[in-house]
Amino acid sequence: MYKKLVGVLFVLVLLSVGFQVYADGSTIDKVYHPYVQLLEKELEYRVLYEQDSRKASDGKNRHKVGYGQALSDRFFAEVYLTGVDQPSRNFKIESYEAELKWQLTEQGEYDNDWGLLFELEKEKNKNIWEASTTLIALREWPNWIATGNISIIYEWGKDIDNEWETAFAGQLRYRFNERLEPGIEIYQAQDTQGIGPVVSGLWRIGRGKKLNWEFGAILGTDSDTADINWKFNLEYEFQ
Amino acid sequence: MMRCNSYLSKVCLGVGLLLAAQSVVADKPIFELIIRDHLFYPSELVIPAGQKIKLLITNEDTTPEEFESYELNREKVILGGKKTVIFIGPLKAGEYPFFGEFNMATAQGKIIAK
Repeated sequence: MYKKLVGVLFVLVLLSVGFQVYADGSTIDKVYHPYVQLLEKELEYRVLYEQDSRKASDGKNRHKVGYGQALSDRFFAEVYLTGVDQPSRNFKIESYEAELKWQLTEQGEYDNDWGLLFELEKEKNKNIWEASTTLIALREWPNWIATGNISIIYEWGKDIDNEWETAFAGQLRYRFNERLEPGIEIYQAQDTQGIGPVVSGLWRIGRGKKLNWEFGAILGTDSDTADINWKFNLEYEFQ
Repeated sequence: MMRCNSYLSKVCLGVGLLLAAQSVVADKPIFELIIRDHLFYPSELVIPAGQKIKLLITNEDTTPEEFESYELNREKVILGGKKTVIFIGPLKAGEYPFFGEFNMATAQGKIIAK
């Protein structure tokens, strides 16, 4: 059943990509894996700092805080608050977001593991809405893990032209040890094109409590993307 | 707003090929583990190397436990009194430790692939 469902969704993704449209704004954020852990709760903080040769965008930083929890062994829900600080203006809350992850296949059962991510975002001070569906694919080898996120996005509202967009984020990670895993990430969307190294790791800080961290420098490879996008993610997992 | 770019098409083609190549091994050998009094039984489980297996875990305790192993790249919570399935491998010959995340002091074991 899952194979059929994933197949249908993949065809939808493929059809949408046929229109060759891309997501607005920087999509450098996080590459999602498809797994859900029963009973898991999570507090999350993400920051993206843009270092650019253009003064207007140099120093822009986006902060995202979130809380999530598993609803079952297949579904995980999370809500976020995003704020942006720019050199030209003070920090302000920019948007609210809710997401639902659906683990489609059991880890390791098939050649690839699959999941879906549904997101809904609303700009705080503008009538702009964004809804997206992301197909998550993951393939593992003994020491390597490759993950791809392909998104279909629809934006609408009085303050934006309604439009369909697509985005891709991918990660190749080497499983060196649980405290330190180097990797590389790639992002492709309307206003984002970048590639760069990331390192991530996990600290166990008690019974059922973990701290996952990730640090990366995504180098912009087109004129729309900042020269260096420093990203840092911190997740506190607890039961 | 519409731009021509073949990059995403190639990515989607790649994903499509992966989907097409998706194989399901129906007859995976089944092995069993039991969690009782915050211990794994057996604590050492021998499985065939080079073959994917289905691991059936029964938690006989009343409290949840999390089967976890970095070496196996697996992590799964099993509620008290419930069963779950974990797919493992194919593994190279060797030893792969695992533990119970909620009772690390006692719930320890290893899978030996031969």
